[in-house]
Amino acid sequence: MPRQVPGGGKSLRQVVWDLPVRLFHWLLAALIAFSWWTVHNHHTDWHIWSGCAILTLLIFRILWGFVGSSTARFASFVRGPSAIADYWRGRWAGIGHNPLGAVSVLVLLAAVAIQVGLGLIAEDEDGIYLGPLAGLVSTDTSDKARDIHELWFDVILALIALHLLAILYYRLRGKKLTVPMITGRADVAPGTSPMRPGKWWMALICLAIGIGITRWIIAGAPPFGS
Amino acid sequence: MRSKLLAASCACVLLAACGGWKSGQANSAQGNISKDNRPPATAKASVVTNNGMANSMVMLAVPLPKDRALQVMHVRHEGMEAIGDANKAVHRALGSSDIGTVRANAAKIAQLSQQASTWFPAGTGPDVGKTRAKPDIWQSADDFAAKLRGFQTAARALQLAAGGNNVAAMNARFADLGATCKACHDKYRAEENH
Repeated sequence: MPRQVPGGGKSLRQVVWDLPVRLFHWLLAALIAFSWWTVHNHHTDWHIWSGCAILTLLIFRILWGFVGSSTARFASFVRGPSAIADYWRGRWAGIGHNPLGAVSVLVLLAAVAIQVGLGLIAEDEDGIYLGPLAGLVSTDTSDKARDIHELWFDVILALIALHLLAILYYRLRGKKLTVPMITGRADVAPGTSPMRPGKWWMALICLAIGIGITRWIIAGAPPFGS
Repeated sequence: MRSKLLAASCACVLLAACGGWKSGQANSAQGNISKDNRPPATAKASVVTNNGMANSMVMLAVPLPKDRALQVMHVRHEGMEAIGDANKAVHRALGSSDIGTVRANAAKIAQLSQQASTWFPAGTGPDVGKTRAKPDIWQSADDFAAKLRGFQTAARALQLAAGGNNVAAMNARFADLGATCKACHDKYRAEENH
């Protein structure tokens, strides 16, 4: 696997992750843990709120992937198979998600989105709690959604394990990934084009849209639902 | 600027979680249900055969014959599932103010809740067969019996409310009922094993 500092040039500490990306990342991690804890400790109501908060985060992140800082944009990091192959052979230089990491980002986002979608239409086994959109589907569908929701968490756990293993692997090869995700800064080879930061107000707009859509869904997605 | 954005974002994500999805969450429902303290006679008789320590002694000394125990456990499982199905039907019907469906299923729950008095004889715990009923049921027999009575009372209250046309009242009684399900399940039902 390649190091990001070719030719022994003096590396510079630069911003690679903007604040919205870092906040998204750590809030998502915290809320997934919280969701797991609440559902195993008889706090189904908090579990549903947690899922709604994750939904807001997901919508925000997708929008930020189009209008955010350069390293947050899908267009800048999602690449084809040949770019992934090049990366694997050590021919890649840049900041942000590498072409292989991009696959991991998309898969994780998709897996969490599926989990949220299942939760939205699920109901608990006693019929005490309904997901915000459960009224749009039949009881049978809600019950099936809950079963798959439970099983799908294992998929998410496996992806999280893979994510952590990859971080450990890079660490063993001398590349620290965790600290930059906290501070936003990493050592970058000279000559690498720096991150173009997004506008803070654009982040707030993305967040407002995320909250708006989430609240609409919490209301049962009228006029389709209650 | 950074810290402002951070604070604003956190606040907003939290705010997003401040609407109200529809559910029969029970706000302070627990207080309401136990006003009616008339215990259905059957509950007391069959669940609490003895008090405290004596009860577990009885369980050890005179266990139900295994085939009979498994039979009860099967009836219990089917009954609980039927209550769950009826509860789900009520929940959805309340969402669409379908009073007829609420009425029919509330009656079903009330009826099954009375039968539930016979579902937990000593010797039908997880040591006998596959069940999520925890042994605590027979170790805290008085508390369990009280919770079962609370459930029966709440089920009857929903049935009465469903006899009228006040959907708000039905929603309130449904929330009370859900709280009695949860109170017992949180304490006495083991997690599902896959």
